[in-house]
Amino acid sequence: MRVLVVEDDATLAEALARALRAEHFAVDVARDGVDGQHLGATERYDAALLDLGLPGTDGLAVLAAWRTEARTMPVLILTARDRWSDKVAGFKAGADDYLTKPFRTEEVVLRLRAMVRRAAGHAAARIECGPLVYDAQLGQFELDGLPLRLTGLEWRVLTQLVLRRGAVMERGELVERVYEGDADVDSNSVEVIIGRLRRKIGAAMIETVRGHGYRLTGGERR
Amino acid sequence: MRWPRSLFGRLLLLSVLATATALAVAGWTISGVLARAATRGLDDRLDARLVLLTDRVRADGTLDLAGVQRLPGVESGWAWSVRSPDGRIWTSGGTLAFAPLPLPPFLHGNRPRPAEGWDAAGRPVHARLVEVATSAGAVSITAAAPRHLAERPIRTALLPLLLCLLLLGAALGAAALVQLRLGLRPLRDLREALAQVRAGILARVPGEQPVELSPLADEINALLDLNEAGLAQARGHVANLAHGLKTPLAALAVRLEEPGRDPDRALRALVERADARVRHHLGRARTAAGRTARGAIALEPLARDLVDVLARIHLERAIKVEVAVPPDLFVRIDAEDASEMLGNLLDNSWRFAASLVLITSRVEGKLVRIEVEDDGPGLTDAEIAAAMRPGQRLDERCEGHGFGLPIARELAELSGGSLELGRGARGGLKVTLFLPRTECGAVFANRADGQLSS
Repeated sequence: MRVLVVEDDATLAEALARALRAEHFAVDVARDGVDGQHLGATERYDAALLDLGLPGTDGLAVLAAWRTEARTMPVLILTARDRWSDKVAGFKAGADDYLTKPFRTEEVVLRLRAMVRRAAGHAAARIECGPLVYDAQLGQFELDGLPLRLTGLEWRVLTQLVLRRGAVMERGELVERVYEGDADVDSNSVEVIIGRLRRKIGAAMIETVRGHGYRLTGGERR
Repeated sequence: MRWPRSLFGRLLLLSVLATATALAVAGWTISGVLARAATRGLDDRLDARLVLLTDRVRADGTLDLAGVQRLPGVESGWAWSVRSPDGRIWTSGGTLAFAPLPLPPFLHGNRPRPAEGWDAAGRPVHARLVEVATSAGAVSITAAAPRHLAERPIRTALLPLLLCLLLLGAALGAAALVQLRLGLRPLRDLREALAQVRAGILARVPGEQPVELSPLADEINALLDLNEAGLAQARGHVANLAHGLKTPLAALAVRLEEPGRDPDRALRALVERADARVRHHLGRARTAAGRTARGAIALEPLARDLVDVLARIHLERAIKVEVAVPPDLFVRIDAEDASEMLGNLLDNSWRFAASLVLITSRVEGKLVRIEVEDDGPGLTDAEIAAAMRPGQRLDERCEGHGFGLPIARELAELSGGSLELGRGARGGLKVTLFLPRTECGAVFANRADGQLSS
């Protein structure tokens, strides 16, 4: 999962990015409203964490601009504005969730995962695909009831696939949603990761759709 | 004399005084003119009689009595007398006593002079006298008529005249009354508009005023602007302060959660304490910043907005919400305060509800009664008593619970309302909030608050 953090305070932005990366998220940081709006409008993110009091463009304006441009990614507002009128305004501008500063990293991560899961159309926190189970609350995978140990990249690829289980994930989109904006992406690195995942969960679980991308099948051949 | 305190009274008094003076002068003048006209008529008849008498005076100063036999006698009240130069007196009968009126300086020569006096019977008479020169000397001739002949026309004219003047006075008074009512109406309208501003029905006093009141209305509006700007600035400062304090706290909290930095979570607890203090004092600062003119806040849309927000914040908890708020209920309160109060109460219920949150509202006299109830564990009587004690904060003992209650209570009391805690029918906490009711639906959003930075 790739998330955009729009936060002008350098210390907080860095600390938050570090905490999210520790939870396997790919994180891009924008330090003002203008950059944030641009990144959110041009790059593909699974979610955005948005501060409201931003230099340049105010957070609410950034959010409204994204929504006008039909950028539907879930947005979690992270702000010091803790009045109810601010929250009403935030949700009305198109936010999906709202947390006030200071917050627990754990809470942010939980809400992020929940937002992304709901945005992918899953009401329940457990997503099953054959022997593979993704616990969207804990962000952990189980295979045949046993915890699956994954690297950050593997986790990101597998969550993308499991959230769209049964559907084909375009290769290009997968790359965009797995790597951070400034990452140096090798042309066939996704294939390498898919290969590693197949070794961990079984080759039949991930189907390559030629010319398109990949599909998580749950182990049944179609 | 003390002036009445009302402008209406002052203007009315002035107008009545002026009218009365004008009418008195008019009455006096008209009656004077009438009196002179009536006297002149009598004078002409007396002068004619003087001419007749003069004709009967012989050259030696004696009177030709035979010539005056045809003149009317004393019984009609008319009388005459002639005095010769040697002191002999002829009269129509009886004697005439009279005092000559002072002669106007321009009456020279042998022209009749007026005089007032009494006849032999003691009746007042109006007389004219003239002196005729003869070879023997000056003969003085007097002709008199009952004075009431001069006074009667005046007396008969005076009553209708007074009646007319009284009617005129009444008409002028009524006109002044109408004029004052019409003239002072803009003042009354302005006062009513100002009251509506205070009640939150109008945002500003209407600018279209009579020329004299227009600067006053402008000044009032400028004052309201200034007040609002000052408030926005104060709230802006609080918002900036919130941002300035909370962002570093947030950064600190996130860094403390990195592995190994805070193994026993003692530092994290410190951050939470600092945050609680900051929230508490920012809440107080916002309250102290003052409030804008209280708006008429429609309760139902506000409740719906807040329920929407809470449903999304607590999306993972399946809580059923029932909003039973009539759409035509308006409370007179600062918009910001209204959402803070209701938001805190609803959030509180949401956190502790097992499955249900109820918001009901109805009119109670001049107040609106709002009840927020949940089916959670509720508070014990001791906890309720503690929560209602000033300065007590439940959130220091049980995390989250009741954090919003003291703030909501303080805001309710600042707005002229109150807050009560109790146990609901479902066993959970029931918070009853009373807020001042307002009639009007002319809502204006007072969002001139400090959303400058955060």
